[in-house]
Amino acid sequence: MKNKKNTVLVLGAGIAGIQASLDLAEMGVEVHLIEGTPTIGGRMPQLDKTFPTNDCSMCILSPKMSECARHPLITIHIKSTLEEISGEPGAFTCRVIEQAKYVDPVKCVSCGLCEAKCPVKIDDEFDVGLRKTKAISRYFLQSIPSEYTINPSHCLYLTKGVCKLCEKVCPTGAINYDDKDREIEISAGAVILATGIDPFNPLGFGQYGYHRYPNVVTSLEFERMLSASGPLGGHVVRASDDKPPKKIAFLQCIGSRDEGIDRNYCSSACCMFAIKQSIIAKEHSKDLDASIFYMDIRAFGKDFDKYYDKAENHYGVKFKRSKIADIVELPDGSLDLKYTFENGDIQHEVFDLVVLSIGLQPRTGSRKLADKLDIRLNKFGFCHSDTFTPQETTRQGVFVCGAMNNPKDIPESVVSASGAVAGAVKFLNLGRHDISTGEEEIIEKDVSGERPRVGVFVCHCGINIAGVVDVKNVAEMAKDLKNVEHSEDVMYACSTDCLELIKERIEEHGLNRVVVAACTPRTHEPLFRDTISGAGLNPYLFEMANIRDQCSWAHMNEPELATEKSKDLVEMAVGKARNLTPLKRLPIAIDPEALVVGGGLAGMTCALAIADAGHQVFMVEKESSLGGNMKDIFFNLDGSDPQQFLAETIRKVEDHPEIRVFLNSTIEDIAGYVGNFRTMFTNGSGQQEELTHGVVVVATGGSEHKTTEYLYDESSRVITQKEFERMLQEEKFPPGKLREVVFVQCVGSREEGRMYCSRVCCSKAVKNARQLQSKKSRANIYFAYRDIRTYGFSEQYYSELRNSGALFFRYTPDNKPEVEKVHPDDPESRVRVTLFDPVLEKDVVIEADLVVLATAIDPPEENLKLAKMLKIPLNSDGLFLEAHVKLRPVDFATDGIFVCGLAHSPKDMSESIAQAKAAGSRALTFLKKNSILAEGTIAEVRTDRCSGCGYCEDVCAYAAIEIDPEEGVAVINDALCKGCGACVASCRCGALDLRGFTNEQLFSVFDALEIDAVEGIV
Amino acid sequence: MTEATGTPFVLNTDKGLETSLRGFLRQLLESGNIGALILPLKVPSGDSFAWIMLNDAGMIDDAVPFPATMPVQGAKALRSLTRKERGELTVMALMRPCEIRAGIELSKLGQVNTENLILATYDCAGAVPLQSYVSDPAAAEKNFKEFFITGEPDQNAKPICASCTDFSMVDSDIHFGYFGVREKGMLVIPGTVRGTDLLKKMDLQTASGSELLPVWKAEVEKLTEKRSSVRKIVFKKTEKDISGFTGMLNVFENCIGCHNCQSVCPVCYCRLCYFGSEASRTNPEAMVNEAVKRGGISLPPDRIMFHTGRLAHMSLSCVSCGQCTDACPVSIPVADVFSFVAEQTQHTFEYKAGRNDGKPLPLRDFKKSELPGVHKLVKDAEPGGTSHE
Repeated sequence: MKNKKNTVLVLGAGIAGIQASLDLAEMGVEVHLIEGTPTIGGRMPQLDKTFPTNDCSMCILSPKMSECARHPLITIHIKSTLEEISGEPGAFTCRVIEQAKYVDPVKCVSCGLCEAKCPVKIDDEFDVGLRKTKAISRYFLQSIPSEYTINPSHCLYLTKGVCKLCEKVCPTGAINYDDKDREIEISAGAVILATGIDPFNPLGFGQYGYHRYPNVVTSLEFERMLSASGPLGGHVVRASDDKPPKKIAFLQCIGSRDEGIDRNYCSSACCMFAIKQSIIAKEHSKDLDASIFYMDIRAFGKDFDKYYDKAENHYGVKFKRSKIADIVELPDGSLDLKYTFENGDIQHEVFDLVVLSIGLQPRTGSRKLADKLDIRLNKFGFCHSDTFTPQETTRQGVFVCGAMNNPKDIPESVVSASGAVAGAVKFLNLGRHDISTGEEEIIEKDVSGERPRVGVFVCHCGINIAGVVDVKNVAEMAKDLKNVEHSEDVMYACSTDCLELIKERIEEHGLNRVVVAACTPRTHEPLFRDTISGAGLNPYLFEMANIRDQCSWAHMNEPELATEKSKDLVEMAVGKARNLTPLKRLPIAIDPEALVVGGGLAGMTCALAIADAGHQVFMVEKESSLGGNMKDIFFNLDGSDPQQFLAETIRKVEDHPEIRVFLNSTIEDIAGYVGNFRTMFTNGSGQQEELTHGVVVVATGGSEHKTTEYLYDESSRVITQKEFERMLQEEKFPPGKLREVVFVQCVGSREEGRMYCSRVCCSKAVKNARQLQSKKSRANIYFAYRDIRTYGFSEQYYSELRNSGALFFRYTPDNKPEVEKVHPDDPESRVRVTLFDPVLEKDVVIEADLVVLATAIDPPEENLKLAKMLKIPLNSDGLFLEAHVKLRPVDFATDGIFVCGLAHSPKDMSESIAQAKAAGSRALTFLKKNSILAEGTIAEVRTDRCSGCGYCEDVCAYAAIEIDPEEGVAVINDALCKGCGACVASCRCGALDLRGFTNEQLFSVFDALEIDAVEGIV
Repeated sequence: MTEATGTPFVLNTDKGLETSLRGFLRQLLESGNIGALILPLKVPSGDSFAWIMLNDAGMIDDAVPFPATMPVQGAKALRSLTRKERGELTVMALMRPCEIRAGIELSKLGQVNTENLILATYDCAGAVPLQSYVSDPAAAEKNFKEFFITGEPDQNAKPICASCTDFSMVDSDIHFGYFGVREKGMLVIPGTVRGTDLLKKMDLQTASGSELLPVWKAEVEKLTEKRSSVRKIVFKKTEKDISGFTGMLNVFENCIGCHNCQSVCPVCYCRLCYFGSEASRTNPEAMVNEAVKRGGISLPPDRIMFHTGRLAHMSLSCVSCGQCTDACPVSIPVADVFSFVAEQTQHTFEYKAGRNDGKPLPLRDFKKSELPGVHKLVKDAEPGGTSHE
């Protein structure tokens, strides 16, 4: 592999593609992000909220989108497709076609005049046809890039040669009808495939009445209806009569778990999706009646069962285990559902709206793409990968992540993306790098001692602001404000010309503070900060007033009031600007070594990912050998050999020159912070050793729950899954002699004390049952279960087992199976299992040779000790709590600490590997840098005022502040502080202040508005 | 009232409560189980008391274990001793329950380290206002004796005492109980493991208090009930008095801005009060503008703000000791207002200041259920929240 290119091609810019690009770019890799639609973001922007936290989807995604757009190492190619790939891993040549956009992205300022004038209305793809858009449009409001594009198949000029209205109204001359498709060639060391999924289309499956009955909608359509920014503004009404529905039915498994239509897999996310939608719908309207019709509720993820419980018991969502027999439309548009319960009872119920919980399927065109990439897809059309290499495709150097791999939710997509990155970097040649903007350093002017000289620039944004707000008037008013040296209105503040103008004005008027009144700082503040920085001002001497979102948009029907409010906002911004001070971002050196706590599968995989990238890894394991829980796994559903893989992995770890393994060792203390950790541990010979390292990976694993239920302690015929698997392997209990075997699921899981699903037990039980069958056993197999949660592709093995004659009995927690010895005095006695069968509505009694218990996965006890040392949180179940359950699944809020494997939550082998690689990859984003920059806006302590009460320490989510025991005052760790201000608010003594948001600065904002901040003035 | 953690002992009270307690303390000091004692001593002029830390057992005879008034809140004494780190010696402090409660509150705020402290309390009948004591010590002593025996603070006691319901055993290590059993003896009740251990080590050869304990308890409960009803009446009146801005204004209009209430407050622990700092100074220009806008403003401007600010900062930690009212030169019932507001704010967070029950300080952890009002605001602010419907 000569000529390694430090470039990676990422195909698909959904959340997986975005995460992969950001991770790579942070490691110093150049990324080309190829996206077919006109924006990055993928499916997430279409979602209103996300389970199980009900976070707003767009709110959590858009910072990542902006980061992607701003990153100097990421090039976004929208409306682009991969045509051909040649070469070898490490040096691929990719031919990419960039379709014509017909709008010059450099000139377009996204003012929207063109869209307003365009006469062609077409169905809006983003809003799944619930709204109309134009032939020239932006994909959705927060699209990135934000520039407009023309849809050539609908544009009147491009199809019929008439119109050209957009060209006429465009103020910057950005329209270019002669634009052509462009072919570009990209050399890349590796390719990451993240093309995602399409929702199942229920058209053509007439039984649901989709499109035949207007009040039958898909879950994606319903999601857009629920969204406050969607076509209905969040006011859900029926298409037939515009009336709000009072009764909604959610039908599960539409296009999933259906052998008849070649979809014998579970889409994994739809149960939670429906629960979420029912909760949100109920939050919108309290007296709404919501019912979910399902086969099994598959709430298998972290904290999912609690969410399910909340929906049922707090929100009153009705869960109906049944099959839908028929849907008939009534004259008023309502729908009569006929359904059968499991005991055969048939019932009718009328609903105002029916939501089809549609499954996930590979994106249209993925087969073609697979052919171009020469990779294999599985029988359902998802990208094939092996259990032990979940992100590898059948072509070396090409990796897969996100739902293209298998149906998965957002956090798992993020995990797989970071995991794919760990694979891709092996084909690159990465050294450590310094942070640089690539531009030459400009010497900063010293403005200390100068009186404030504020420059104000008020943006028209075409008609976006000026259509409502009297911009000239606002700029005129600003001239009279104290300390304002210059004020003017500009057409597009963010256009290249205007940025130059701002620089000139700084020079001309000797400005030392700048205020821009335009759109949102979220997207534009970095741009303006860079601009004033280019003119020699400290970037923190900038303040922004958002007169678009907060004035012209919010008060579009009251132009005069909107103008008044704009003036107030500008006055407040000037008030703040007057008191702004320059801030510095200090560099923090990063130690290039990593500490991995735990030598199980996750720990070893993560250590290899980091070590393979050239970094020293210290692995501390409390036991005398590596391997953890995997030592007890002998079979996989897909036939692969776990023990062989484990042996290989252990050998790789032990032989790796960059990995030092410490067995029989316990960690005593971990001090320090990102880049600069110091760990004390007791090694195998009982001596204390010290390590210094830049990051920590927590991979402490989990353990099998010790149960006392079902006579486990009293009978040799009652064993756990783990014991059963070993028994099958060793063939101790001759399988041939077993006649009746009962599997009991959810032993210890999903009940008081452990309100979570242990996730792997259903698949594990199915696996071991199939394994038993394969050993030529003629045993009858019985399952006592609550919900069978064989999500994803495991579903097919579950149906195989069912088809083979295994019997399944559902039980409820208040009617658990009963186990007793047939001969109470004989320890070897067979056991009698009594199960209630809800189908027959009768007890069934089985004299079993063996009862196999699927016991829960417990977090290890030492988690608490480690959590205290690292100041990282545990959730109520004792599992480590990641920084963000959706978008930062392997990070902690405290920088430089990562989690993977069972320490995070129960998961299977493949998922542990994916997460371990993800943690490795996230760790590398720090380790690959020589130093990182601390934030500028961080808290500071005035020690003369601090009483050392420690309130601040308790409220800090980032472990960035602590009380110095010697001095008795708070001390801030600049490297960890994120500038959230929680400590400042908590401080009774007023000893804390947030740089850039000091009391003085904020009070000057109030003063400007003449708010009576000090109510004592009477 | 908290529960005993071990069997109580009985001290002989034939020679009076004070003598009996002095005897016990002497024995304790001589046993070597503690290094020093913190006790009130009468000042040489005879018109007040001061806290003394002593380890000379001979000085105990000069100590006044049950002082008639409360000049410096005991928690302040504890804070001065252990603010930075604990000393080497084990020190026992004998104080009123409100002083010990303030001490415990300060320990949660990192201002007192209780590791080497033995906290001891006694049944508190109330205290005489400092002003009455200073102007006529003899009369004050006589008045004090009267309610000291009944346990029912009268018009001569500090007003807050009559409505105090935490006047007996609090979370102290050792409690001396005499209400209802004075004639038969004084109970020495261990309240923590540490207290139990200490009493065991002392190996007291006195009678067990198991029989007297229920009698004492019944009396304390009876008194608590009486004071609760007084408390209700006082709160009702206070609520009426301070309702609305005008109410607050009426109550605090005499305030001369001396900040005495803040400087004597045991739980007001900031090194420099915001209201004493430069940051609280109002911009003259803004004030003139205000005056023009409103037609007139009163000066200095922070009189009400000072009190509401202190309420916001400190009511969650207020132990209702009444020092603020005692120190007010213009007789504003500051303690009544604090006590009333404290009851509401502490109730909101299911918190009680000065208790050692393992509950975290309010606002250190946020539970949505605590503040349905805030929760609603948060919800309304979310897109798709109720206000958008």
